Amino acid sequence: MKDEFKPRIIGFLCNWCSYAGADLAGTSRLQYPPSLLPIRVMCSSRVDPLFVISAFLRGADAVLIAGCHPGDCHYQEGNYYARRRFACVRKVFETLGMESDRLRLSWISASEGPRFANVITEYTEKIKKMGPNPAKKNIFL
Amino acid sequence: MSSVLKLSRSAEEGLRELLKFLLEKKRVKAVFTLCKIKKNGTVSYSLITDADMLKDALPLFPLMPQNAGKLLSRLTLKEHLAEPIAAVVRPCELRAFIELVKREQGSLENFIFISTTCPGTYPLEMSVNGDISKKLPEYEEDVKKGNVISDTRPICKACEHFMPYSADMTVALIGEKDIDKNCEIFLNTEKAEKLIEGMDGELVERELETEEVKNLRSKRQEEKRKLFEEINVEGLGLSGLVETFGRCIGCHGCSRVCPICYCVLCDFDSRDYENEPSTYESELKKRGGVRVPPNTVLYHLGRLTHVSVSCVGCGMCTDVCPADIPLSTIFLKVGEEVQKIFNYIPGKDVEEAIPLNKFEKDEFTEVED
Amino acid sequence: MFNKNKSILIVGAGIAGIQASLDLAEMGADVHLIEQKSSIGGHMAQLDKTFPTNDCSLCILSPKMSECARHPGITLHMNSSLISINGEPGNFTCKIRESATYVDPDKCVACGLCEEKCPTKVTDEFDMELRTRKAIYRYFLQSVPSNYAIDAEHCLRITKGVCGLCERACTAEAINFEDTDKEIDIDCGAVILAVGIDAFDPIVYGQYGYRKFLNVVTSLEFERMLCASGPQMGHVVCPANDKPPKNVAFIQCVGSRDRENGRNYCSSVCCMYAIKEAIIAKEHIKGLDATIFFMDVRAFGKEFDKYYRRADEQFGVEFIRSRVAKITELPGGDLRLHFAHQDGGRDTRDFSLVVLSVGLQQRKDILDFSESIDIKLNDYGFCQTADFQPLDTSKPGVFVCGAFSGPKDIPESVMSASGVAARAARFLGLKRQKKVSKKEFPPERDVVGDRPRIGAFICHCGINIAGVVDVPGVVEYAKSLQNVEYAEDLLYACSQDCMETIKQRIEEHNLNRVLVAACTPRTHEPLFRETLREAGLNQYLFEMANIRDQCSWAHMNEPELATEKAKELVEMGVAKARGVTPLQKLPVDIDPRTLVIGGGLAGMTAALTLAETNYRVFLVEKEEKLGGNLRSIQFSLGDSEPQQLLEKTIENIYNNKLITVYTGTEIKTIDGYIGNFRTTVVPLHRGGTPKELQHGVVIVATGAGEYPTEEYRYKESKRVVTQLEFEKMLHNGVFTGKPMQNVVMIQCVNSREEGRDYCSRLCCSQAIKNALVLKRERPAADIYVLYRDIRTYGLKEQYFGEARDRGVIFLRYDIDNKPTVELIDPENPNSKLHVTTIDPILGKQVVINADFVVLAVSINAPEQNRELAQMLKVPLNEDGFFLEAHVKLRPVDFATDGIFVCGLAHCPKDIDESITQATAAAARAMTVISKMVVEAEGSICEVNSELCSGCGLCVEVCAYAAAEMDEEKGIAFINEALCKGCGACAASCRSGAIDLKGFTNEQIFSAIDSLEMAEILQHSGT
Repeated sequence: MKDEFKPRIIGFLCNWCSYAGADLAGTSRLQYPPSLLPIRVMCSSRVDPLFVISAFLRGADAVLIAGCHPGDCHYQEGNYYARRRFACVRKVFETLGMESDRLRLSWISASEGPRFANVITEYTEKIKKMGPNPAKKNIFL
Repeated sequence: MSSVLKLSRSAEEGLRELLKFLLEKKRVKAVFTLCKIKKNGTVSYSLITDADMLKDALPLFPLMPQNAGKLLSRLTLKEHLAEPIAAVVRPCELRAFIELVKREQGSLENFIFISTTCPGTYPLEMSVNGDISKKLPEYEEDVKKGNVISDTRPICKACEHFMPYSADMTVALIGEKDIDKNCEIFLNTEKAEKLIEGMDGELVERELETEEVKNLRSKRQEEKRKLFEEINVEGLGLSGLVETFGRCIGCHGCSRVCPICYCVLCDFDSRDYENEPSTYESELKKRGGVRVPPNTVLYHLGRLTHVSVSCVGCGMCTDVCPADIPLSTIFLKVGEEVQKIFNYIPGKDVEEAIPLNKFEKDEFTEVED
Repeated sequence: MFNKNKSILIVGAGIAGIQASLDLAEMGADVHLIEQKSSIGGHMAQLDKTFPTNDCSLCILSPKMSECARHPGITLHMNSSLISINGEPGNFTCKIRESATYVDPDKCVACGLCEEKCPTKVTDEFDMELRTRKAIYRYFLQSVPSNYAIDAEHCLRITKGVCGLCERACTAEAINFEDTDKEIDIDCGAVILAVGIDAFDPIVYGQYGYRKFLNVVTSLEFERMLCASGPQMGHVVCPANDKPPKNVAFIQCVGSRDRENGRNYCSSVCCMYAIKEAIIAKEHIKGLDATIFFMDVRAFGKEFDKYYRRADEQFGVEFIRSRVAKITELPGGDLRLHFAHQDGGRDTRDFSLVVLSVGLQQRKDILDFSESIDIKLNDYGFCQTADFQPLDTSKPGVFVCGAFSGPKDIPESVMSASGVAARAARFLGLKRQKKVSKKEFPPERDVVGDRPRIGAFICHCGINIAGVVDVPGVVEYAKSLQNVEYAEDLLYACSQDCMETIKQRIEEHNLNRVLVAACTPRTHEPLFRETLREAGLNQYLFEMANIRDQCSWAHMNEPELATEKAKELVEMGVAKARGVTPLQKLPVDIDPRTLVIGGGLAGMTAALTLAETNYRVFLVEKEEKLGGNLRSIQFSLGDSEPQQLLEKTIENIYNNKLITVYTGTEIKTIDGYIGNFRTTVVPLHRGGTPKELQHGVVIVATGAGEYPTEEYRYKESKRVVTQLEFEKMLHNGVFTGKPMQNVVMIQCVNSREEGRDYCSRLCCSQAIKNALVLKRERPAADIYVLYRDIRTYGLKEQYFGEARDRGVIFLRYDIDNKPTVELIDPENPNSKLHVTTIDPILGKQVVINADFVVLAVSINAPEQNRELAQMLKVPLNEDGFFLEAHVKLRPVDFATDGIFVCGLAHCPKDIDESITQATAAAARAMTVISKMVVEAEGSICEVNSELCSGCGLCVEVCAYAAAEMDEEKGIAFINEALCKGCGACAASCRSGAIDLKGFTNEQIFSAIDSLEMAEILQHSGT
């Protein structure tokens, strides 16, 4: 059997909501594919666009930023800034004809264990269909 | 309708006379303008206080040796101007300066900005052999007709923001049939009207936005479309980027001349972006090969995220690129698209906050879920 | 501060009990927090979202719960209740019963293996009996403490002596069937009751068919149905037919505002939570219609009216003003509502689901409880409090907070909890705290510049991790990684003996960084950090890899892939650990003095509360006299006298040597930060010289005023007056002995309309109060109240009833058809008035001859707030009131540390509420000034001044005013005392000049770089 493509997704999860939501998914024993490699940050606003680009060029099949729902930010309004920065990076990708669907911003609260599991499952499926990140094999980055 | 000072001289002479008047009447302490440094017409920006030296001023010379926004920022970074200076700058330079002012990299205080409806400039490389001087008659004819001017920089041909947004005075050039005889200076602010008090010349009322201007705008839009098509920015994809940026020699000249790159030390010049030996190892393990030096795509993508919201499309990056990478086309396109989502025109209004530093609670629902 | 006890007993660990515990523990008290359930959190933990922000309830509560459980000053007594209180204030002895749980909390690691094996299913109380749990259970998934308990009533081993499967399943050997109930004595200086309330049981409303018709649910049940971690996982279906509802009806005032059933009070929260549930339900279920049947919409709190309007306009929630008479069930489970329209016409509507908005009521066991500890209850079973002393019970030294003293929403509960902390603090022997930590640690070893020597410890967590992940394999992998000096697997890394092992290995192998791969850092990082400190390492030289919650538990059926992922997580952890550096928490000296801005009731109360606890206060008031709005308030709804309160308070202020009063004085500048403020005050009278005050904290109590209205001929006629003016006239006896027939009161003047979209909260009760005063004096006077919604929330409702009983006529008007006022003789400014209004019930015009028209003008935030807000770098809301750090859980704090708000400056509120919030502000201030030093966060941002271009973008994105510009150098710097370590500024800085310590760019890049994204996949595909 040929090796099946199993996506690798780097996820920047904010400590207070999405990381907690991911924990809850585990505590609830919700099963989702082991595609996500979480990096905990205190707030989604910590995510420098360069983290995203770097993760992408290093070969991550997708990059997920997950934070508190708008209005819920533990640090008042960090997620609003995160959203603007994300919109910008995504637009840069889009305009350059790169697959901007490989970048995703999701709001997942601390009580949304099922949503976390769903987001990962569904996103993994989607990336699977898109195939591996072409950056993975390219040596001239 | 705006109030216009009409002088019966060529546009360039008229403007020179205005500058002279301002200096002699001590309305300004100094004038910032292009001056010729060689007979064959190479120019450089200069600060002038001696009215006699204005004879060498070529305020309308179609070359952008550096983006003046960046220069004005250097002048006012530490302290704002103590006394008024009149600066003759192109619309994109003024916009760049305003973007810098928004980032505390300069101050508008005591500046009087004189700009033009900008016909565009020639590439930097043409300044070397006096080629531009030879082109001047042809240039003037095209300006009069409101044409897209051949051999000017592609980025200028494709520029839509050729009308200054916040100049105190605007010299009308585009589509003006008798710029060799008449100089019409639009007085956009009260400050401007005060400054020219006592100057010989006729005061008239008219519109700056003429049919010719409108026509040129649509011609340039068409040029822009063609330019984007030619480079096929949206079709680049990762492989396109690798090809395009693959020839980058890593000189980072583009960021040195970019007015929006104001960092004391560019993050990409710091050690953080050099691969550790271990990274080479893991990269080689992963890919079986690695470009040396690496991270060129990262550098350009990174710069795009840094400057795209504020890119004014001045084209300096392309002018200096030794590897002929069509940087300004890519940056203009990406800049436009990014600015569009924030409904932002960089450098238009100094009061308008930089998009990445503000937010609405209900927005961008299309990028989130 | 003699020999008083430092301990305090707090009964009930809902949000109020948690907040009171945290505040008192921060002040240095030894807190005993007792809770009947096996988790803290109370009702708030059951809520899905909170109004008016739709904040996720658990997201904001969880951090507070873990803070509470971790705080060295707080001892939790779970499954416990208070039996008796003996002794005197300052010296009580309380008897506590701790029920047996049969699970040793020190051994239980909450792995859940026992639960899987337990054969007994019991309906779950936390999820409102909408699902089942086992006889051994965790109260809810995120419960704190996390350990399990056995439900003795249902456990087969305990009831019948059979089974014991859990004991066999528990690898941690935590099950102990020999456990027994214990009684213990706790000595304490004061007691705080935060026992909370129950939800009303609507079974007594037979006409609504609760429990008979499956699709009739209570609002709390519905809340669980909506919750993503609830029994339906947020996918709402009707209980009768498992189908998603097409439409849902909310019936308001179920168990509230019901005199016949002896429930003559408003539960205060139901209108808002119904609106919230309607909005959330509409978000969850596409195409759902939501209808709310109500009497008055009581959206009286801060930002509530805007929320109400959004529900209506943006979300299309339907509001029907009607009381539903009865519900009948249709075949298939749908429900038919029978109700009358306002005009009396009868109607029916069918719904798939009906939610009964049940009110708050006294707890079932409250009578016995109050008797056993000898405190008085009021007529409705809430704790009795005296007027103007909303936090004191009838028993000295025993205090009350939260909804036990009357219906409250979350922020009000939190305010009362902080307030009660200050009230109780006076009875405790508290001294200013010298040291930040109570525990002694060995000196830290200097590791700066040393090559990283990482110890990696991989936890089995019994079989929780090891049952899925190949732990020895991960250990081997860890050993192969650069800089990993040592790796080992541990059975339960968090157990005492394993932590000893870690300490030993640090010593043996001279480790200078530690990685633990186990569960989640959110709960366990503090524990391991402490272990590092005990081993003489800086606590930040630590990193965790979450291979349980986010790996083994989530990929139970893919052990190989889970193992690969665990390896990668360990590798990322090691990459990040390589870059960790020792961090210090910056100590900030605290000046113990407080500046209170505003000398109204709130300011004075805050000042007195602080001074009575021995803190110095500067009280600055711009008027010549203290008292603010209270000077104009003559009557109260009950029989207490506001003017006496005013006199007594002012007297106390001037008699207290610790308070320096500056009247007729303005604030000119405020500089500094928490612990170290410098403020210049300037007397307003001529020749006054400015004075500089130094203080550690600021309390903003600048109040608010009446809006300068121009409506309803107010400017033209002397017979049109505001409620405050009317009150003065009543007080001065203007009406005594003169013929007067008709008074028309118009409500909501300049309130609740375009541009001024908020409820002024007080006006309904103020109108009723003045109407009752006038009626008492002149029973024959005809009083009309023209209103939009009567908002006599909480226990004020009874006065609304009394006013109706006494013949005050209430006529509703619509915002689109406002009443009009005309002078009967337009030439004569003294002329009587014609008030014309349209009765929406009859749809007819009503003209009233009025001797006086009294306007309830809105409460208006003063313009000067802007200037002060700028000086303090704190925000205002749209309406000009000060905006607190968090509308639910930090109602008196600002995001900027060391600055607090109370009284009308925050939003409209009545006397008791102002007193409560002012006391709360004092308490929050005391949590700071009770310390000589506070520690800033350790993981904070720093500016590399060599790289900073001074663009100021960081200053703009910082929510805490921590990023500032050094104007002279033209570069930014971070005020370490204020930084919270979110990193928003770091990501905004394109020069890379700002970095977040503990989460540096370098660390994150190397975590990214460490991943071998291409490789591992190919291996694992087979």
